[in-house]
Amino acid sequence: MSERRSIGSVLSRLLLVDLFKGLAVTLRYNARALVEARDGADPTQAIYTAQYPKERPLVGERWRGAPKLNNDPRTGESLCIACNICALVCPVDVISVGQANREVRDGEKRKKKKVLTTFEFDTSRCMFCGLCQEQCPTLCLELTQEFELAVESRAGLVWDREMLEKGIHVVTYKK
Amino acid sequence: MSGPIALHWAPQAASPPPPPPVVPSWSPVELIESIGVPHGFAEYVVWPAVQLALILFVVLTAVAYLTYLERKVAAFIQARLGPMRVGPVGLLQPLADGLKLLSKEDLVPAGADRFVYLAAPVLAVTAALGLLVLVPFGAAWGTVTDINIGLLFLLAVASIGVLGIVLAGWASNSKYALLGAMRSSAQLVSYEVALGLALVGPLLFARTLSMQEIVESQRFTGLWWVAVQPLAFVVYFIGSLAETNRAPFDLPESESELVAGFHVEYSGFRWSLFFMAEYANIIITSAIAATVFLGGWSMPGLETAVSWIAGTDATTPLYSTAFTLLSIGVFAGKVLVLVYVVMWVRWTLPRYRYDQLMDLGWRWLIPVSLANILISAFAFLVAMRPDQGGLLGLVEVTKNGLWMGWAGTAYFLLVNLATFAMAAWLLAKLNKTAWSTDLHALRRVEALRRAGRLATAEEARAE
Amino acid sequence: MASDTPSAAAHVFEQTEMLLNMGPQHPSTHGVLRVLLKLDGETVVDLDCDIGYLHRGVEKICEHDTYPMITPYFDRLDYVAAVNGDLVYVEAVERLMGVELPRRAEYLRVILAELQRIASHLLWLATHALDIGAATIFLYAFREREEILKIFENFTGARLTAHAFRIGGLQWDANPEFVRDVLAFLDILPGRIDEYETILSENRIWLARTVGIGVLTAADAIDTGLTGPVLRGSGVAYDVRRAAPYSVYPEFDFEIPTGDTGDTYDRYLVRMQELRQSVRIVRQAIEGLPEGSVMAARVPRVIKPPAGEVFHTNESPKGEIGVYLVSDGTNTPYRLRVRPPCFVNLQALKQLAVGHLVADVVALIGTIDIVLGEVDR
Ligand code: SF4
Ligand code: SF4
Repeated sequence: MSERRSIGSVLSRLLLVDLFKGLAVTLRYNARALVEARDGADPTQAIYTAQYPKERPLVGERWRGAPKLNNDPRTGESLCIACNICALVCPVDVISVGQANREVRDGEKRKKKKVLTTFEFDTSRCMFCGLCQEQCPTLCLELTQEFELAVESRAGLVWDREMLEKGIHVVTYKK
Repeated sequence: MSGPIALHWAPQAASPPPPPPVVPSWSPVELIESIGVPHGFAEYVVWPAVQLALILFVVLTAVAYLTYLERKVAAFIQARLGPMRVGPVGLLQPLADGLKLLSKEDLVPAGADRFVYLAAPVLAVTAALGLLVLVPFGAAWGTVTDINIGLLFLLAVASIGVLGIVLAGWASNSKYALLGAMRSSAQLVSYEVALGLALVGPLLFARTLSMQEIVESQRFTGLWWVAVQPLAFVVYFIGSLAETNRAPFDLPESESELVAGFHVEYSGFRWSLFFMAEYANIIITSAIAATVFLGGWSMPGLETAVSWIAGTDATTPLYSTAFTLLSIGVFAGKVLVLVYVVMWVRWTLPRYRYDQLMDLGWRWLIPVSLANILISAFAFLVAMRPDQGGLLGLVEVTKNGLWMGWAGTAYFLLVNLATFAMAAWLLAKLNKTAWSTDLHALRRVEALRRAGRLATAEEARAE
Repeated sequence: MASDTPSAAAHVFEQTEMLLNMGPQHPSTHGVLRVLLKLDGETVVDLDCDIGYLHRGVEKICEHDTYPMITPYFDRLDYVAAVNGDLVYVEAVERLMGVELPRRAEYLRVILAELQRIASHLLWLATHALDIGAATIFLYAFREREEILKIFENFTGARLTAHAFRIGGLQWDANPEFVRDVLAFLDILPGRIDEYETILSENRIWLARTVGIGVLTAADAIDTGLTGPVLRGSGVAYDVRRAAPYSVYPEFDFEIPTGDTGDTYDRYLVRMQELRQSVRIVRQAIEGLPEGSVMAARVPRVIKPPAGEVFHTNESPKGEIGVYLVSDGTNTPYRLRVRPPCFVNLQALKQLAVGHLVADVVALIGTIDIVLGEVDR
């Protein structure tokens, strides 16, 4: 009993003031939720959540999402030079690059050149650290802003070259 | 108390008591009779059956939508939107939930006491739904039946529901469920007492146990008993939270400690039966609170509103129908407000610990309600008319209920203050430390308790 | 214990104690912790923590990964405070290599690390309050944390496992809206902290559940080797940011809140104060944010620190996180060892919980603030 009780503190304890203060906060939220706009993801509004499948969030520009192999926009050929750096730098060995030496004509000359044949990317083990895209010398491999990577089978998580170039088919909900 | 010391200067209850307020006389029984059903059969079989079917339908829908309401209230409080996907603003969500639960597998854990395990949820829900027959939903034909010990019956049957919980916990063959059931039975024992004692206060004023008459008594006096028994109301409300296992007293199912407590092993429809029982119990305790403390279906201005619609002749079917439906509306409104408060409290406050719950029950609520009864009874005795055994004559006991003028009302409001002060004094005496907001004192208490628990555990092991 | 001899059967009925397995699948053990409780009624008589369900052998993996490849693993130790994990690792490697960072990089690192501390403390508040039954605080705290995660997402490209830092600086400079977003968040947060405190700090139920629960004296806390808010709650003003300053922390003005008795309520207050102090640091750092590059000029493409060893510690939200790094001059570390604050702090659980009730165990696991990713590594 070291603390001196004042009438005020005794009254506020008897009248459950401490509980009512908390209740007032929640009641205020409840009332605001009924009248305020609900644009979603606005921290100043009473309702913060966005209606996800209906409203797709805009993820950051630097988002590390679904992988993609870029093609050269002029020629339509893959930018990948099959240098295997991405596979080497990946901490969890997600990538395997298939390569072949092909003869290519460059004008009159014939050259031997390493070209990409297959490219496998196991999204089930990828941790989206972004090291591979950082190290890619030709800006070929890119982690895009696509974030819905769910598929219906385990095997479907391994993306082949075609999928990497086209991207995953994402179902968008309108309802 | 009367005789020589009776003071005759006091204002006799200012004016003679008025006649009892109108109650419409027509009932749909007449309608049923008019198509040729014999009287007794119509009154005691057909009509109650219709009523029961209606009530079951309405209440079960209400229970389903209470889950929806609960989720919406929680969501709005928590900066979310809640169910939005099934139907417009999620209105069909309860239906979807029900379908899902119905189609789930009904699991019985290995080693469970099969019969008890399967029967427990049924027991819980039956007890809850069985009570509906006595709840005075509305005036006249809005109530199924009215027996003279209505409130007592309600309290008695309500505690059977807890048996369902205890059995479920025992039969599940799971330690979490067992702990939940154990807590539940302890909680029941302590809070049933506080709950019952809290109801004695208003019963002093209502002077009857029949639910319908409790409403009528408040209508006659023109005062809701919460005005003369606020302390009892608070105690009842807290006790009913504990009775229905709602936060901050949801220990039997506290999901963060006991995972889900007594229903941890249940799945599918049996699990949903527990939920139905819980929500039905919330409705019933709120209904009791509305009836005993908040005037039930009565409302100042109700009669006027009815007379606008149906004229003033209380014997016409139209009058009776309008009166009943409006009163049901009033009652539903009151219950809804109470239910909202229950949910609001749940989503704001943390949960008590088991021993603190016991503390609160035995050292705070029960003394307060006892003090409340004593002081109210004494004040009531003093205020009665000398020829009825009282002293001041501020209140007159008539056969329709209490009659008190403005002086009586003012007197009882003043008595409230006195009760409040006395209860505070009593609590201060009883709870020397827990009462303080001094953190250091609280810390010492906790340390002592822990040491005490350790010592008992040590002793038990030594033996 | 099934036995047919009458004496054994009688013994079963004499027993007053019950073993209760809490976890690894339990809502309040914050992951896959298994706590074996010996109960007498509801009183905890004895307690044993069974850890290792999340063991991934991170330290061993690191021995054959190159230095840059190790950083993402530090995101995944304390996955709710990934940035702080990154920070201690990259700083250890930088110390070994003797790299001097540009000031802008240091400032950005401090801003991100302090935001992460706020996020981690908010998550702690959310789950701790939820364990004690205040469900609404959970979502309020998550809402504020979400704002931080959005800032991380725009800056680093991921919300949780940010992979924020590279050896020698940062991968990217701040995104253009970074300063604006952070300032907007700093304007909101203090009001929101007030809101949490209105709901909890004076609430009698909250007091009943936290005051006097799990008291840890300063001497005990030091003996057990506890660090972080758990230690400071017992009244020891030890904070690596002050005791052994790293990065640019000496340039900022902030206080180290301490408790006095070392109970759960004190630890709660300490963390709430730390939230406010972190806001202060971030604000100062944003105001003094220098211009310039974010990557040290002379970082080789293949990182091969000179042979040697270093032990570097940081103040993570959970406590003192340390990295012991031995380099043999190749591009992979010879040995890497993490001093995990959560693992050490978890050892205090038995000391805290014995003699309390089951419900308190939940509150106590919450108050230690463990992340199993770091406990198990
Ligand atoms: S993002 Fe990281 S884990 Fe995934 S493939 Fe690239 S380097 Fe490997
Ligand atoms: S690093 Fe880039 S160019 Fe090299 S193999 Fe990988 S994707 Fe192709």
